[in-house]
Amino acid sequence: MRALRTILLVAFVAAVMTTLAACGSSSSSSSSGTSSSGGSSLPAGVKNPVDESLTGGKKGGVLNEVQAEDFEHLDPGQAYFQLDYQITNSTQRSLYSYEPNTFSQTTPDLAEGEPKISDGNKLITINIKKGVHFSPPVNREVTADDVVYAFDRVANPNVANPYYLGYLESIEGMKDAKGGPIPGVKATGKDTIQIKLTEPQAAIVVASMVLPWTAPVPKDYAAKYDAKKPSEYGNYQVASGPYMMKNNSEGKVLGIGYQPGKSLTLVRNPNWNASTDFRPAYLDQINIAIGGDANVIGRQVLEGSDMVQSDAPAAPIVKLAVQQHPSQLTISAGGGAGDRYVAVNNSDGPFKNVNLRKALWAATDREALNRLRGGKTVADVMTHFLWNGIAGFEESGGFPGPKVDYNESPTGDMKVAEKYMKLAGYPSGKYTGSETVQVVGDSSAPANNVAEAVNSTLQKLGFKTKLNLVEHTVMYSKYCGVVSEKIDVCPNVGWVPDFGDPQAVLDVPFNGNLIVKNGTNSNWGLVNHPKINAAMEAAAKVVGEKARGEAWAKIDEELVAEAVAIPYQWAKEAYIESKNVNGINDYWNSGTFNYAFTSLK
Amino acid sequence: MGAGAAEIFAGADSGIDLVESGGEIAARSPLQLFWRRFRRDRVAQASGAFIVLLILVAIFAPLVVKLFGLPSPYTQNPSLSGPFGEPLGPNGAHPFGVDPLGEDVASRVIYGARVSLEVGVVGTAIATLIGVTLGLLAGYYRGWIDTVISRLIDVTLSIPLLLLGLGIGSACAVRGCVAGAIQPGVGVIIFLIAFATWTYFARIVRGLVLSLREREFVEAARALGASDARIMFREILPNLVAPIIVYATLQIPLNILVEAALSFLGVGVRPPTASWGQMIAAATPTFNTAWWYMVYPGAALLLTVLAFNLLGDGLRDALNPRTSQ
Repeated sequence: MRALRTILLVAFVAAVMTTLAACGSSSSSSSSGTSSSGGSSLPAGVKNPVDESLTGGKKGGVLNEVQAEDFEHLDPGQAYFQLDYQITNSTQRSLYSYEPNTFSQTTPDLAEGEPKISDGNKLITINIKKGVHFSPPVNREVTADDVVYAFDRVANPNVANPYYLGYLESIEGMKDAKGGPIPGVKATGKDTIQIKLTEPQAAIVVASMVLPWTAPVPKDYAAKYDAKKPSEYGNYQVASGPYMMKNNSEGKVLGIGYQPGKSLTLVRNPNWNASTDFRPAYLDQINIAIGGDANVIGRQVLEGSDMVQSDAPAAPIVKLAVQQHPSQLTISAGGGAGDRYVAVNNSDGPFKNVNLRKALWAATDREALNRLRGGKTVADVMTHFLWNGIAGFEESGGFPGPKVDYNESPTGDMKVAEKYMKLAGYPSGKYTGSETVQVVGDSSAPANNVAEAVNSTLQKLGFKTKLNLVEHTVMYSKYCGVVSEKIDVCPNVGWVPDFGDPQAVLDVPFNGNLIVKNGTNSNWGLVNHPKINAAMEAAAKVVGEKARGEAWAKIDEELVAEAVAIPYQWAKEAYIESKNVNGINDYWNSGTFNYAFTSLK
Repeated sequence: MGAGAAEIFAGADSGIDLVESGGEIAARSPLQLFWRRFRRDRVAQASGAFIVLLILVAIFAPLVVKLFGLPSPYTQNPSLSGPFGEPLGPNGAHPFGVDPLGEDVASRVIYGARVSLEVGVVGTAIATLIGVTLGLLAGYYRGWIDTVISRLIDVTLSIPLLLLGLGIGSACAVRGCVAGAIQPGVGVIIFLIAFATWTYFARIVRGLVLSLREREFVEAARALGASDARIMFREILPNLVAPIIVYATLQIPLNILVEAALSFLGVGVRPPTASWGQMIAAATPTFNTAWWYMVYPGAALLLTVLAFNLLGDGLRDALNPRTSQ
């Protein structure tokens, strides 16, 4: 027995030593050339969605797509996630769409042309294209009534659309709608829709028509599914775009074309009329495999063929791609890639004091936070709240941002922080209040590291902190943005705009008028400054891209002046493809692949 | 361990023994016999020495870190990462490398010993105290007291510890539970461990007491008019010391692993406090590129658990040589 134990001990020590020797020490440095792209830098040879050629793809072939995450909602009335949009974008035709390389210029999709706006921005008239047909089993031609029903059902509690009131509240009767006909939305002919507004907010209503909820839904087929709570239309949906989820003769998708957590299969919509669409739809079929380890998936894609990865690859894979397979890597900077910031409670606790917020901004090493998320390859240091590719970005300071001392040093400046601590009433330059700052972060990597780094910064400023890391969805649903929880700091929040309009970037996360007392808010810092709220209400009514950009740029400057949050990352999303894939990525959708434009070489 | 424990420790109360020494017959006390046998077991001694060293390192962690010229385990240094955010590997200044936050892994491994030992030793001590007391009562009084305690043991054993930990960790994560009295952290882990493991001690002790209470020395004490408390704590309990020590020594590493598992699942100590389980969990996503972040706390955990197990084996052999034959 003793001999056995001795052997065990020796074997263990030997194993540890061998492992250590085999692993060796890693180098901490590597270099790669970079090329500039609109102020943000991308590694040499890496593709940028805004420069992609959208024509000349080879027709046919099967694309195999892999993704670690599953979809959330595939019903076009409920979809609100970039992976979901990837599907709806190739299966549904909303009234307007973005081509893959833009986040500002919309293209009429189901709509025949630009909307007619009249009556002082209170009446919108849209004609839809003829010759667009639903996929089997519906098969018939799409009419204006199908779009009207899409408007009706977006307010149906059974469909549970999470965002519609933010953009459509001004439609006559929308506020009180529960799924039945909306007085302000009518089909005035077989191909014409008329939308009446109570407020002159046509700009934001039209801008939101790029979202999948405007895709036509046949009431005669879908009503029975929408009557169920929750609606089952997503499981029986029909397509109007070039592809459809594989289904059976009854139109059932669930368990046939979509196996939750496992796979999704897109096949051609036999009723799609190419002459009505701007999408080339080169591929014959797209097989999507869900789940797996991000590192393994990444290697399969880079070294295999006919494959793409739809969610962000792991940091080691990005490094591998940059160094060895740059032409197989696409990085989407700005546009729909979104941002990340530290939300601080503007309404309660110590950070009601603007100078404490400025002190935290000044002290935060934003470059370090970005390094924790993969470094400069996938992040630019954020200096204000609008971002590249959105109207108003340049007017509010471009990449350097507004010239205020707490925004000057991306690596943090404790002297400036000390100045604002003193202005906040703490002569020693350190917080001496009795309150303990409650920090709630995301427990998954790398967000947990960001939370710890922010926690450390707070402690350097003298705050006593209590850091809790919880599951990502719990963080959003139970703590951050929940008024009654009174969370002081949420270091892991971020925002991806629903469409390329500055209002879509700033309104929901920072407009105090939208805060609900009972429930969750996407205004995680409970930012509620009357002057800013009023400016937002006014800017929402401004028409024209340039004018809207200027109006919202001023609001951006106000947000920085009030230091409503600590911005640290303009995200750059990375996507990888196999060597024989000509991947086309949607600049407007965080850079995810567009199946209707992607082809095989 | 549970089922045959009473038999395994059956010879623990053997009293003074006669052994040959240098050709003469010499009387030796149980302690002398134990020490004589234990001294022959080099592996157990090495394990004991390792544990003593570990305890010293844990107690004097700030001094040890300073002695080796390491930074504090809470000092973040973001400049110690590459362009893709990959942390710096082992080098002269950071012999175990750094984690993604630029914190020194060596000093965090050293400080992590504090949590592991605190949880392992304190959790086991509380479990021992509760288990031995209830086991004594059940075995000595039998009847309805035994029935109640035995059913309580059955019920407690049916509660899954990790699921309970996850539930508490999830429900009490931020604001705590019971007016903030229950918060994820070392306190809750110690409570969970004590709550789940007292039953093993109670079962073993009960079994041994059922046997001992029929022995002549207990009957003699009872005949002399000794009270129940005196018989339990002055006559029977000393005979249980050896098996309790052995079992506690074997329980400590299990409890250290439970702490690591709970911390791995995010229920344990809160960051930035260093804990081996938490370090291993945090290292999982970056293992391909930063192996040192997982290997060193993993090795520390493995060596500590192994040392306690080997010491426990050695103590069992020395206290009751029949089990090693």
